[in-house]
Amino acid sequence: MRDPRTPAPRWSVAKRPHPSPPRWSAGTHPSPPPWSVGRRSAGRWGSPRASEAERGGGRARTTHPAAAAIALVLATAGCTSAVEGPSPSNNKPEPGTLRILASSELVDMTPVLDQVHKDTGIKVKPTYIGTLDAVDVLAKGGAKGAYDAVWLSSNDYLRLDPAAAKQVVSQTPVMSSPLAIGVKPATVRKLGWKPEDVTWADIGKAVRGGGLTYGMTDPSRSNSGFSTLVSVASGLSDAQSALTDADVKEATPRLTEFFKGQKLTSGSSGWLAQAYDRRGDVDALLNYESVLESRKDLTVIRPRDGVVTADYPLSSLTNTGREVREDVRRLAEALRTPAIQRLITERTLRRPVVPSVPPAAGLDTTRRRELPFPGSRSVADGLLDSYENKLRRPSRTVYVLDTSGSMGEDGRLGRLKKALTDLTGDFREREEVTLMPFGSAVKSVRTHVVRPEDPRSGLDGIRRDTRALTAEGDTAIYTSLQKAYEELGADGDTFTSVVLMTDGENTEGASPAEFDGFYGRLSAAERRIPVFPILFGDSDRGELEHIAELTGGRLFDARKGSLDGAFKEIRGYQ
Amino acid sequence: MRRIIAIVLAVFLIGGVAAAVVAGREDQDSSTATKTVQGVIGSEKAEFFADPDVVEALAAEGYTVETETSGSWAMEGLDLKGYDFAFPSSQAPAGELASKYHVRQPLPRPFYSPLVVVAHRSAAEVLAANGLATLEGKGGGKGNGTLGMKAYLKAAEADRTWQQLKGSEKHGELSGTLFISTTDPTSSNSGALYLAAASYVADGGRVADGAAAVDRTAPLMRKLISVQGSQQTSTDAAFRDFVSGVGNPLVLVYESQVAALLAGGRGVDDLVVLYPDTTANSDHTVVPLTAEGRALGELLGTDKELRRLAVRHGFRPQGAAAEFTAATDAHTTYLNQTLTGVRQVPVPASEVLHEMARRARD
Repeated sequence: MRDPRTPAPRWSVAKRPHPSPPRWSAGTHPSPPPWSVGRRSAGRWGSPRASEAERGGGRARTTHPAAAAIALVLATAGCTSAVEGPSPSNNKPEPGTLRILASSELVDMTPVLDQVHKDTGIKVKPTYIGTLDAVDVLAKGGAKGAYDAVWLSSNDYLRLDPAAAKQVVSQTPVMSSPLAIGVKPATVRKLGWKPEDVTWADIGKAVRGGGLTYGMTDPSRSNSGFSTLVSVASGLSDAQSALTDADVKEATPRLTEFFKGQKLTSGSSGWLAQAYDRRGDVDALLNYESVLESRKDLTVIRPRDGVVTADYPLSSLTNTGREVREDVRRLAEALRTPAIQRLITERTLRRPVVPSVPPAAGLDTTRRRELPFPGSRSVADGLLDSYENKLRRPSRTVYVLDTSGSMGEDGRLGRLKKALTDLTGDFREREEVTLMPFGSAVKSVRTHVVRPEDPRSGLDGIRRDTRALTAEGDTAIYTSLQKAYEELGADGDTFTSVVLMTDGENTEGASPAEFDGFYGRLSAAERRIPVFPILFGDSDRGELEHIAELTGGRLFDARKGSLDGAFKEIRGYQ
Repeated sequence: MRRIIAIVLAVFLIGGVAAAVVAGREDQDSSTATKTVQGVIGSEKAEFFADPDVVEALAAEGYTVETETSGSWAMEGLDLKGYDFAFPSSQAPAGELASKYHVRQPLPRPFYSPLVVVAHRSAAEVLAANGLATLEGKGGGKGNGTLGMKAYLKAAEADRTWQQLKGSEKHGELSGTLFISTTDPTSSNSGALYLAAASYVADGGRVADGAAAVDRTAPLMRKLISVQGSQQTSTDAAFRDFVSGVGNPLVLVYESQVAALLAGGRGVDDLVVLYPDTTANSDHTVVPLTAEGRALGELLGTDKELRRLAVRHGFRPQGAAAEFTAATDAHTTYLNQTLTGVRQVPVPASEVLHEMARRARD
């Protein structure tokens, strides 16, 4: 057997030095897989921690001793919300119940699973998690003893990770839904499209001509987002088969233009739909057909030249006993009976996978080519890395940070500093970050840009300012928020948002009503800037909920999880 | 070493369908003394050994068979001490095992199944219209046909796309590079056998016998694999996707999978089964490790009832073709019962095939 540490693979895409291979190749695989390099993109494959350290912390890898030290400094928090989500320790086995680690979007299968329970006696206890995080759990061995099966939107990602792939014994597709684009009927008419004939090239052309804007989820966080990215990259490149690094490079100019049309980003399909409704001026959404069809107000187009399809395989696990696997097999069988397949397609608008059951009314049955999923991690990672750091609009964010006197209690300020420092590993190239600490008033406004030619200096600046934060003064939430809006102004070329972290109630400056008035007087463009408040310490849920609702943001709770978990989750929305 | 441990673990963890076997034994076998034999089998035979009728037929001959499943290639890394037989899904790993354990030849090969390409009608018709395949099938059904491997490889080598084939314009789904989806050849038998057949054709009808031969076909083999992108790791999953209507229009599977599906009364809309004119057989070969193992291997090939049951699971028993022909008479639209026009190629030695697969995935 080859020593996994020796080869310097010629296919390396790494632009940065790799002192040693990613740690999963040392001991989990008989020989280093050809794609064991290049895991350097936005916290998706494997440990988010490791990739953050790579990106922010001086571009180092955690496997290198020095890099490990840096990572430790950056990441003392331990696990993030992304990974800790389902806690294996409280997931004790129960006889007659299958504990299933499931993609979050499968929550809509509850009525179907209830029916299966009635029919077969098999009870399912799902733990919902993002598909990519689930792969991470599997790769780290976290499913062992905690779950009896895994049920993801797709096992495509999983197969690119040998440590995760090894955990799966058998997989049975349960239903399917292709990635599609849902377009306002008026826009379809304006573009003169015949829905059945539209190709990715047509979509690209419409975006380029300014006739089509859209929203999609963040590919680093959401399965539908990554499927979108693969579809678009395949469709807009000249790739006739599985994407390669060269295809991505060749298509970069077209992709850059395409992503200029992206007006909305989101960490979840649910919020994406809300933001879309609120704005009203976005023409389309990219998501799974089932999600788009359920809206009823969009013309759903599966591009003629190909789609990426989620096939929802129910997968049994190596670390389970024979009886458990037999139950998983029975569950899969039950889900594939004609009656249940009919229920699935009618309830969820996903497509059935047994030939005897037709798809629900309204789902077009003409065939589509399946775009091949990248066969190597280097391509998948390269694509993500390009998207986050080059292709998408950069984001501009003001962090309105409560550093009033009460933040001095319970080590709160320390936790804030740690969370922010941690977050520097997650900022993208070209991103503009403004720190706005406040007490009785805004204490300072410091803006840093992560410049591609020198990302480090911007990140160092954020860390420096973070270290200098002190807890002092009262709590002027609304005055500070107003200041944040003034700072950002209207800006159509970036994803602009405000993050508000406070541990208390408003005690100083503008009142809630005054802020409502202020917000009402903003221009339409400025009103599109959402505030993402974080519940922390003794903050007032009602107050923060109101801010989120007013501005079209979303409330995050750091009291249940952790502060850095909340900051991380918000990344998907920026 | 690490790898061996991993494989041993995998076998224990993956387990098999022994539960059904054990349960069956208790039911029917209180009076006769039976021999319990233990074996490691390829996963595609798990359903066969779990079939209560098979359990019964074996018990009638005095056998209780306990099985664990393992990938055929992984068996080479296992310590088979304590087992009575191994039952990989092709000759190459069986040969390696036989020499490792000094097993006397010939090895019982009770049944086999050729590799076939399943396609939807639209794809099969476009291939036929462009001289890449011919379609047949009794009763005018045209549900089976022959795929010209030479023409297919030539098209693959030239990066031919579906769009370049005449007739494809009527079918929106037929675009992009023309390729057959296979399983990962480094981990799965069918993917590796695909390379065995393709390399044989590409190298002018020679079985790869070493590094030089692997070199000669490596660029083409790599192309055949890399165009596919992410690959399934088991033929079972690949076939399920096809039946579910998801994925590439052409998928390489075992004929036994199709035959078992048809025998179970299920079908696939507009299915066409293409038999490559040059293909590799999955020769389910028993490697006896004890006298009981050998006796069981012989029994599987000679016992009338067991042969009948193997047919029900889609396999072709060695020797007379009558049983398979009779049992599949209702499905001649899809199955080429006599394998007319299909040439079986010998499979390279295990080591050579491994290297070929590794290079193709590189």
